[in-house]
Amino acid sequence: MNFVAEHLVSLVVFTPLIGMVLIGLIPSDQKSAIKWAAFLWSLVPAGLSIYLWLAYAAGGVGFRFVEQAVWYAPIGASYHVGVDGISVPMILLTGILTPLALLASFSIQDRIKPYMMLFLMLETGMFGVFASLDLLLFFLFWEIGLVPMYFLINQWGSANRRYASFKFFVYTMAGSLGLLLSIQLIGLSTGTFDIVRLFNIWPGLDKELIAGVPMPTIKTVSFFAFCLAFAIKVPMWPFHTWLPDAHTEAPTAGSMILAGVLLKLGAYGFLRLVLPLFPEQAAAYAPALAFLAMLAIVFGAFAAFGQTDFKRLVAYSSVNHMGFVVLGIAVVARAYGVDAEGWRQSAAIAGTGAVLQMFNHGLSAAAMFFLVGVVYERAHTRDLNELGGGIWQYAPVYGAVMLFCSMSSLGLPGLNGFVSEFAVVRGSWPVFTTVTAIGMLGLLFTGAYILKGIQKVLHGPRNPKWAGHGMEMNAREIVTVAPLMALMLVIGVWPWWLADVINKAVVSLLG
Amino acid sequence: MVPLNWYLTLAAALFCIGLYGVLSRRNAVAILMGVELMMNAVIINLVAFWRYLQPTNINGQVFAVIVFAVAAAEASVGLALIISIYRRRNSVIADEMNLMKW
Amino acid sequence: MPIETLIWLIPVPPLLSFFLIWLFANRNKALSHTIAIVLMAISWIISLYVFLTAITTEHFGAEVFGHSVPWLPTGDGALNMGVMVDPLTAGMLFFVPLTCLLIFIYSVGYHNFGGRLDPHDVHSTGSPAHNGVEPMYSRFFAFLSLFAFGMLLLVVADNLLMMFVGWEIMGLCSYLLIGFWHGRNYDDPKKITPRQAAVKAFMTTRVGDVFMMLGIVYLYFHTGTLSFREILYNEDVLHHLAETPSYIVGLSVAAMVGLLLFAGTVGKSAQFPLHVWLPDAMEGPTPVSAMIHAATMVSAGVYAMVRMFPLMSAGWHHGEALTPPMMAMGFIGAFTALFASTIAVAQRDVKKVLAYSTISQLGYMIAALGIGAYIAAAFHLITHAFFKALLFLGSGSVIHGVEHGVHHTHEHIDPQDMFNMGALRKKMPITFWTFLIGGFALSGFPFVTAGFWSKDEILADAFVANQLVFWVLVISAFLTAFYTMRQIALTFLGEPRTHSAEHAQETAWTMTTPLVILSFFAIFAGFVGVPEHFPALGELFHNLNVNRFHEFIGGTLIEHPEAVEFNVFPLLASIVVGVGGLTLGWLVYGWKPLKAGQPDPLAKPLGPIYTLLENKYYFDELYDFIFVRPARWISEVLVYQVMDKNIIDGFLHGVARVAVAIGIFFKGAEKVIINDPPDRLADFTQWLGRSFRVIQTGRIQSYLLIVMLVAVAFGGVYYLMLSGLVK
Repeated sequence: MNFVAEHLVSLVVFTPLIGMVLIGLIPSDQKSAIKWAAFLWSLVPAGLSIYLWLAYAAGGVGFRFVEQAVWYAPIGASYHVGVDGISVPMILLTGILTPLALLASFSIQDRIKPYMMLFLMLETGMFGVFASLDLLLFFLFWEIGLVPMYFLINQWGSANRRYASFKFFVYTMAGSLGLLLSIQLIGLSTGTFDIVRLFNIWPGLDKELIAGVPMPTIKTVSFFAFCLAFAIKVPMWPFHTWLPDAHTEAPTAGSMILAGVLLKLGAYGFLRLVLPLFPEQAAAYAPALAFLAMLAIVFGAFAAFGQTDFKRLVAYSSVNHMGFVVLGIAVVARAYGVDAEGWRQSAAIAGTGAVLQMFNHGLSAAAMFFLVGVVYERAHTRDLNELGGGIWQYAPVYGAVMLFCSMSSLGLPGLNGFVSEFAVVRGSWPVFTTVTAIGMLGLLFTGAYILKGIQKVLHGPRNPKWAGHGMEMNAREIVTVAPLMALMLVIGVWPWWLADVINKAVVSLLG
Repeated sequence: MVPLNWYLTLAAALFCIGLYGVLSRRNAVAILMGVELMMNAVIINLVAFWRYLQPTNINGQVFAVIVFAVAAAEASVGLALIISIYRRRNSVIADEMNLMKW
Repeated sequence: MPIETLIWLIPVPPLLSFFLIWLFANRNKALSHTIAIVLMAISWIISLYVFLTAITTEHFGAEVFGHSVPWLPTGDGALNMGVMVDPLTAGMLFFVPLTCLLIFIYSVGYHNFGGRLDPHDVHSTGSPAHNGVEPMYSRFFAFLSLFAFGMLLLVVADNLLMMFVGWEIMGLCSYLLIGFWHGRNYDDPKKITPRQAAVKAFMTTRVGDVFMMLGIVYLYFHTGTLSFREILYNEDVLHHLAETPSYIVGLSVAAMVGLLLFAGTVGKSAQFPLHVWLPDAMEGPTPVSAMIHAATMVSAGVYAMVRMFPLMSAGWHHGEALTPPMMAMGFIGAFTALFASTIAVAQRDVKKVLAYSTISQLGYMIAALGIGAYIAAAFHLITHAFFKALLFLGSGSVIHGVEHGVHHTHEHIDPQDMFNMGALRKKMPITFWTFLIGGFALSGFPFVTAGFWSKDEILADAFVANQLVFWVLVISAFLTAFYTMRQIALTFLGEPRTHSAEHAQETAWTMTTPLVILSFFAIFAGFVGVPEHFPALGELFHNLNVNRFHEFIGGTLIEHPEAVEFNVFPLLASIVVGVGGLTLGWLVYGWKPLKAGQPDPLAKPLGPIYTLLENKYYFDELYDFIFVRPARWISEVLVYQVMDKNIIDGFLHGVARVAVAIGIFFKGAEKVIINDPPDRLADFTQWLGRSFRVIQTGRIQSYLLIVMLVAVAFGGVYYLMLSGLVK
């Protein structure tokens, strides 16, 4: 028990990897055994992450559950992991979503063993990014999260999977190059990759000349390189075009995790690395960031409204929702150290809203993609016009679930989406008034595209095309989506338990 | 006595005849015959040089006798080989023994 | 149990009902409606208790019941959520749960509970039941319960955010219930289907909601709180908000927030220009129309304005110039009142008349607020809820009756078209008399109807405050009475115009009982608001201690509003237009009742104006052209195709093409420079070998020849070397 408590974070990060190895030992033809083994094993990191959450929430602010071990001493990189109020909700999210995604994958027949192994490897990558407190380790886990996703899309995806997986991989990797460049510059300049130490020494580092290049240039270059990497991952407009293709072509569970967690890696990178390490540059470019966030909100909503492919509609909704996250982050960046007219409180609210939106969007996006998958498995089409509506008659339970999850995505008050969107809007109004006002247009069209989805899929007279297709959700599918729905309701009605942890962390980030 | 050169020319002529025979004859036995001729030319050369330059040194005669013996032995070995080949390949044409060709 | 806990409990039973029905009772019709009605009744009883406690508390208003908890952490503080009952809330608590409960009971009969399931409806069709009980019965009650929850949450909320939560939940339920028959299709492509109407309702109100959210956010930023008590009952805060300039030149923060919040009401209460959703919302079942468009949702919009009145009027004092939000309210309210009543004159569908009537009456209330008549607006809100709910439920009863006739005679007519009715007073007496009472209340029939008292008070206030508003309201009062009588005459008087009307039948007790109860309130609810200075009756009711409405509700504000002095002119005007409008309507439609097939007598005289009115001034078509179509184009073509696919992806594909071209170039260069030379060397070596192996003839004679030649060569070289010619 002591071992667990002392190495909780490492256990959370590595148990999926152990699971991957164990799955590898099961013979490939034991499909049922593989599925159940993977799902049950994924409950272990889930349980551990819930325990981590509870343990963290019961305590104080700052990095806790820290572990440090020697790794590559000559260059100053160590195995340094820990969590704080911003990363622990993300770890909780990952822990909850992965078993559900695996449960959703039970209908996969083809080569289920490598599928499950890749998924577990992906989970380790995601956990690792959120937990790592060392730049090199961060990068390592970042890249680990990339490769399995590529294969998942490429091998188990839909018709256009090769293009989509390639685009996703190369585009994100191009950003990762920036990340690597930045990390190397920082490591070279300071002699350490340790994030906690860098928080103290990097912002003040000023007068040294590294390899003949002046320090401000290095800082600017690494700032932009970081920004580019994370901007592609979030994704920020206009670097978002990989997302619709990747999300649409990925298998259902792949989309759930891609939208649910992987997008958050980018936003997390902004909060964890860019803001504390480059406060002046972030504050200077925050208006541009807010402007791009607004474009994401508005254009994402418009593009979603214009879709005929159900999955692509949900994919663009991710662009729309992540826009709010970026807006919140921009507010925090802008208000960093500035205390004009009570901006500090607005920044705290916006930051809390941003991280909360990350969590909430994880839930609602995963649920929506799952529901798209449910229909797709039975109807073998995602085209809204081909689906033709009238499915509610055949599948009342599915209809109810879809309505519920859609309303969460739409930001209906009473469910989780509203809390975070309200917080972000409240936070950004005094700081970026015009941007917020224009962003409301996006909020208006969010309603439009959600209702379009509902109307084209559920509404309408009984559609004879789908008679006998078994459109209704089965028990496994209900079990998959029920925890998400429960969380949506709980957070919508009573967000304090989650928001308080985040709020304290954001307040301490603002200093 | 006749001059030495006459014996040397004779030996050279014999040698060349023998060489020509070796190089141009198809029949393996004939090639052996040519080889014999070349050997005899060498013997003549040896004897002439002994008689005209070192008549008292017995080494010259000994050398000639050794060469005789070697020639005889070699001829018999060669013939034995030819017979062996003939038994195998039913032919003694040298051109046809070309297994070592590339 | 302390009263605060009770207040928290008021919205809970309907929410519980929603979950219970959804999760457990969704196959059992009797259980569903029992749960819904019992829990709603519990809510009503608690509300009544709270109401009674409130009206018996001294100086209620200065002291209120309330309780809040921290909900969202905000930096170093927290945003609280809580409940509060002040006089205004108490007033709301009187009528909201009651009307909801009556509508619930009505719905049992409306959906033909007890009837058998029509064979066509065994598999859910998403359309109205053919001739039996509604197949989606449980779902209806679940949604209705959620609706009631939303409204009650809004009513007891102690802060703007919670109010907004209830507001939006009602918006959702409105969407779900208008689109209840989501599978219904019409043959006429121009006729809007329920699912389209649902989207229209949601999106139109969302436009208002988006502005409202900005208002809330702005207010929160400036005051650090959203609690009603802390902002609205606080002179310092109001003064500060009225004095601070906002982002827009000329507007104070209070004004800008007020305008933004008003935008929400314009959407939710279907004022011009966001009125277009309400008539189409008639596609929903009639209890929904009654609930949404009389008792609850649209009233919520007015309630919001009444609640926020101190903010809207911050910096205004009686007799001075109106603040910008008040001007907006006055103008839009009065305009809408007139505008909608003109359209109602030319409508054929019995529910559409009522829909436009609602829009018009809401305009009245908003206009009243606009000119500062706080109490009058609240008063009219409450009386209107009663008689409008009555009228809607009555219309539902009428439609049911005519549908019974349709099923009986198998005629193919629209049972909602008034021109297909007639003489229903004989077949449906209870419905007739209650409808008459409701209609008279709406028209403001003098003294004995609640509508008269509330409308009169508005007119009295308007007469003093703003003549333009007064006359606009007077004209629309006239039109209101006119179209109401038109409706009554066409529906109930004369002779039946179709066979279905002949064979109409009175509806079940579950439907007529609520009508009777509501008509009671339509008559007597007005007496609580008889002005003190009214000749004879004012004193009478004062002695009976009945007309305490003004004084009670006035306690909500810091300063009790003054009652306006009695003036005979607005009273006369109100009586004249009320009675006059009814008389004119009777003369046109009732004196010589229409025969079957006869067109509307107004159609020819008004000519093109009539067509304009019938088509609602073509606003739907206009909005489609200006907003809907461009939105579609922007979404489908501009953003997705042009921007994302052509420009951004085009750029990326271009980059990819450049990368591929570079790759091809390097591949070629590498091949020529790096890859080929070693190959060439290898080839050369091989060629050399191949050339030289011809020596291996396998013939010993060749070998010997070579040996000889080489020996000769060596010999020659050796000789030359020895002889010193070559070194």
